[in-house]
Amino acid sequence: MDKMLNESIINQLGEMFAEMKRPVKLLFFGSSPENCDYCEQTWQLLEEVAAVSDKVSLEKLDVEEDGDTAKQYKIDKTPAIVICAQESDQLIDYGIRIYGIPAGHEFGTLVHSAVLVSNGESGLEPEVKTYLNDLKKPVNLQVFVTPT
Amino acid sequence: MVLAFQMAMENDLVVAEMVEATEFPELSNQYNVSGVPHTAINFGAGEMVGAGPAVHLLGEIRSALKEQE
Repeated sequence: MDKMLNESIINQLGEMFAEMKRPVKLLFFGSSPENCDYCEQTWQLLEEVAAVSDKVSLEKLDVEEDGDTAKQYKIDKTPAIVICAQESDQLIDYGIRIYGIPAGHEFGTLVHSAVLVSNGESGLEPEVKTYLNDLKKPVNLQVFVTPT
Repeated sequence: MVLAFQMAMENDLVVAEMVEATEFPELSNQYNVSGVPHTAINFGAGEMVGAGPAVHLLGEIRSALKEQE
């Protein structure tokens, strides 16, 4: 298959990833091709991203074969990407997920979130942080986007 | 868009999911997504249509949580 990322994007990624503090692990959840139109492309894209820097690693999982792990991360659709930070052997899951192929504008979102998770600092205003830190009830945010 | 992701970093109770609308039409229809970005809060208890500043999304989260009380 042809490469999805060109040289100029790879160079940009390299510069962005060089700033990262902690390594990042992207957990990919796929399913059989007949149930998932974009799983193969999404995995290829992630492989090309991870090839840019040794600070980004990947794990390929299948929602059926790795059902327990899928349940643990509450994954019910594919392709899914969970963006985790890594500290020694431990994965830190902030609750950040991408469903569907992160192409077009959303490719930028994938890259920015990897950097965000790596550095562990949300960058939000203090009053917004305070409100969020004080939350006692679960909040689920589903942000619908299209790849334009 | 990374706003929801930034929020997820602040509290383990906050989960932020980016959903590619055309790949998951049933889910998009369920929340009547017609323009993007469209943020569904707590599975439809609240929503934010379009992009907005953090305080705007916080306001919508606050009213969605109140709705659920």
